[in-house]
Amino acid sequence: MNYTLSSLIFLPLLAALVVLLLPTRMQQGIKAVTLGGTLLQLAVAVWLYLGFDGASVANGQTGYQFVEKLNWIGFSLGNLGRFQIEYFVGVDGVSIGMVLLTGIVGVIGVISSWNINKNVKGYFLLYLLLMTSVMGCFLALDFFLFYLFFEFMLLPMYFLIGIWGGPKREYAALKFFIYTLIGSLFILVVMIGLYTSVIDPEATAQQMGLVGQNVPASLDLIRQMQQMLQQGTIAEADMVRTFSIPAMMEPANFIPGSLLHVFSGVTLFDLPLRFVAFLLVLAGFLIKVPSVPVHTWLPDAHVEAPTPISVLLAAILLKVGGYGLIRIVYPVFPDAGAYFSTFVGGLGVLSIIYGALCALAMNDLKKLIAYSSVSHMGFVLLGLASLTNEGVNGAIYMMFSHGLISAMLFLVVGVIYDRAHDRMILNFRGLARRMPAYTAFVVVAFFASLGLPGFSGFIAELLVLLGSFSAPEATGMLPRWMAVVAVIGLLLSAAYYLWALQRMFFGKYWIFPELREKAIISDLTKREYLMLVPLAILALLFGIFPHLLLDKTGMSVTGFTELVLRNGQEQLNILQAILHK
Amino acid sequence: MTYTLYRHVEEQAAYLTQAIDSILAGAGSLLPELLLAIFFLLLVTLDLFKSKTVKRLLPWVALTGLFSVLVLLVLDRHVAEVQFLNLLRSDGIARYAGILFSLTGIFTILLSLQNPKIEKRKQGEGRGEYYALILMLVLGLNLMAKSVNLLMVFLAIEVVSIASYILTLTLKEEKRAVEAGLKYVLYGTLSAGVMLYGMSFFYGLTGSLDYTLVSFWRSLLEASPLMVTVAAILVFAGFLFKISAAPFHFWTPDVYQGAPMPIVALFSTGPKMAGIIVILRFVAAFADPTIANAFSDVQLFLGIAALATLAVGNFTALWQRTPRRLMAFSSVSHAGFLLMALLAFGSDYTVSVLFYMTVLLFMNFGMFLFLQMAEDNWQVRTLEDFQGMGPRMPFAGIMALLYLLSLTGLPPLAGFMGKLLVFSNVWEAYTSTSQPMLLVLLVAGILLTGAALFYYIKIPYYLFLKRNQTNENLVISLSNKLLLVLFALPLLVFFFKPDLLLHWIEKLLA
Repeated sequence: MNYTLSSLIFLPLLAALVVLLLPTRMQQGIKAVTLGGTLLQLAVAVWLYLGFDGASVANGQTGYQFVEKLNWIGFSLGNLGRFQIEYFVGVDGVSIGMVLLTGIVGVIGVISSWNINKNVKGYFLLYLLLMTSVMGCFLALDFFLFYLFFEFMLLPMYFLIGIWGGPKREYAALKFFIYTLIGSLFILVVMIGLYTSVIDPEATAQQMGLVGQNVPASLDLIRQMQQMLQQGTIAEADMVRTFSIPAMMEPANFIPGSLLHVFSGVTLFDLPLRFVAFLLVLAGFLIKVPSVPVHTWLPDAHVEAPTPISVLLAAILLKVGGYGLIRIVYPVFPDAGAYFSTFVGGLGVLSIIYGALCALAMNDLKKLIAYSSVSHMGFVLLGLASLTNEGVNGAIYMMFSHGLISAMLFLVVGVIYDRAHDRMILNFRGLARRMPAYTAFVVVAFFASLGLPGFSGFIAELLVLLGSFSAPEATGMLPRWMAVVAVIGLLLSAAYYLWALQRMFFGKYWIFPELREKAIISDLTKREYLMLVPLAILALLFGIFPHLLLDKTGMSVTGFTELVLRNGQEQLNILQAILHK
Repeated sequence: MTYTLYRHVEEQAAYLTQAIDSILAGAGSLLPELLLAIFFLLLVTLDLFKSKTVKRLLPWVALTGLFSVLVLLVLDRHVAEVQFLNLLRSDGIARYAGILFSLTGIFTILLSLQNPKIEKRKQGEGRGEYYALILMLVLGLNLMAKSVNLLMVFLAIEVVSIASYILTLTLKEEKRAVEAGLKYVLYGTLSAGVMLYGMSFFYGLTGSLDYTLVSFWRSLLEASPLMVTVAAILVFAGFLFKISAAPFHFWTPDVYQGAPMPIVALFSTGPKMAGIIVILRFVAAFADPTIANAFSDVQLFLGIAALATLAVGNFTALWQRTPRRLMAFSSVSHAGFLLMALLAFGSDYTVSVLFYMTVLLFMNFGMFLFLQMAEDNWQVRTLEDFQGMGPRMPFAGIMALLYLLSLTGLPPLAGFMGKLLVFSNVWEAYTSTSQPMLLVLLVAGILLTGAALFYYIKIPYYLFLKRNQTNENLVISLSNKLLLVLFALPLLVFFFKPDLLLHWIEKLLA
């Protein structure tokens, strides 16, 4: 077996162990080890990206590359058959971009943390734990494993915000923790429902002795098993229930009579139980995305978090939400995904507009950027809800590009905050005169974020808009006005960025008198160049050569949309009877 | 005339031989209890000696006793179920429970050895009594888990209760301890009386005390529903009192506040686990198909109790300002989870219940050890007193964090696995029965886990997020450190490899 993915996940953990063993006073050593660990992770991520074959067809259930599958936990519960949890990781077009992004931002975050001097050891330990869990989240193909990493992200984040954060850090950290925990509890309910409903046909065949232990079952046998399951000829005690996400994507793996089976006929609040389950996981991931109206933790968390943590939060942690929707929610509940597409798209549009309007009203530069994140994440939802190839590709591209650009944006805010200990827009004017290089990077970041052609953000927005425009004909999802309204969101984002630029950076140099004593307004340092230059280059690179990522995602996305549309339509037809009762 | 008399004597003799035979046949299964009783007597006798060396040895004698029982139970070869008359049944459940109870006793003594108040005070008189009573309590717990007869249940519960009353009062010069002890005795005796009254109804209605028999339940079903309901409520009042479930939990916070910390840890695990096993045996009787459909009434009744317990435990805990009271309500909420697990009828819930109890044992003892350290060494009385202590004792702080996260039920700790198993069972049971009560319980249980984070996180919040002026390191003794690891390690192991324990429990139950 190939251990590339495991090394990606556990390299930071290994580095964390080294940090743990280093004495507390060796601050430089601790920082160096962390940097080394993340650099190695980045190297493996790049190697993975280069080695990933984007042309191989992935149809949602198969086609994962670099797969590692090990039995982890297995126990039988009497007459209920076996339960099986696997260490199952793999990468496909949906996750490859996220993995690369995590590698890049992980290194940038460490460089940005270089001047942390309070409890250095604790900080970098938590940082490395966070990196492990985020990477694990993007690579896990077993729901339990995914959930483990998903929940484990909360803890390091809680402490990173709560200990190293700003004045209201305790409140922000708790709010973040509670919000996301509630979200993950929703996901937990559905996870329990799913794994008690789904069998692993291959493991069941092994359990029944149709094929030897550890011998892979042929495709025919798997089909045969699925038929037998649906006809009810497999004994309860032989069924091997599984957490495997690919197995959950196959409707034929659902046990007849289980509550989440399409034919179960169980309803709750006049909706089929599958739809309720969809709404629950959707809510769980929407909190993470975040989408209006469950976004309120984000501005608080961002404002209070230290700069590097804001960078991580915006650039990779938010992506877990969107990634979860693509990896789990839609393929497992394609019927509900199709049924609720207008609802999800509507939330996306609402986030775009509301986030942009809020950003327009903010005086705190960091809050402005936090709300712009909400607005941009709305595009992810809109693209996904369209269920067109362009839209979903756009959603993935948006996550990737926003990861690069938002990292830049928060770094840029950190630069001014480090110098003036303040980041109120109205407290500064004409900064361009004193900090020309800094202003140049701000301009690049702002323009990249508002979708100027040539930057990666433009490609993402273009794809999402194309997808949502064509959705009514292509897939029958989304009313057309949504795409139109989303364009207004683009205008608004231009407005808040340009207005902020004009107020803070242009005109005559002036800063608020009370800040003058403490503020040392100087241009960028070498360390800051080191962080901003690569990000700017990458944003440009992926803006000019979109095929760098699209070639990798394309086939997987095609597989995804086909799977969701086909299964969704079939299952919706079955559920019509309940829906129109 | 003489002939009939002769016949009569002969019959009696035959009956007697039979009785003696069955006593002898079953006696082997009571070896752990006998061993505990012997060590109890040994401790009481040794306590008579004035020599300081003997006094110092007392806890170690008690530990030896408990440890030998533990080894006996773990290594026990014969798996078959043995019944002692129709009073006590030694089966897999009782055996596993016995292992848990021995561990409880061992941990209690280990905590007591670390407790300066108990150790200092007990140099002189009453030292043997304290450790002897712990053995007595464990003996009572073992009997509770084995009882299949209502009268035996009552006797076992009383053994546990009387030992508990005295142990609560260990530090009798403290005002709080006296208040707690008095409250406990009053509530306890009242609930015992009520329970006994209910049992007498049961006896009157069925003519039998063996509640695991199907005939017992059949005659109850034929009796007047009102009478049965009243009797059941009375009996369950006693059980719910023991596991500190709502609405019979009122003694919990006061006793937790007054009793010495090792004893609080013991109360939060031992009697609760034993009480749950008594209820489990009650519920298991309904597995018989002829009375299975009567279970829905029991389910409703216990379901309401479980819901109330979950709600009261979690919501009241939110308002607590002292760690002891917080843990008291936390223990109430865990009683709710255990009750909920029992209602997942139709699924294989016994394994999950036993697993959950095992995890509960480790996380509660870990947490109480931490609180004992904080209270005795650094005078922590309220949650605010934890302010800024985390960085001054990173090791203990992180251990406390592990226990608390496990209590909340977050991965990667065994508390999560316990909850996952319970929730899965409830879901399974709902799939097969579509009882709305189960769905309500499931949703409430999961949402209240979110509420639980709110109060459990308060301790790490004060430990790590709040800052303090001083930065000097707090010293923790090596033995305390080792104990903290001893309680934390299983929490990690049982998360990453729960099947190790699950398989073993399954093997014992088979």
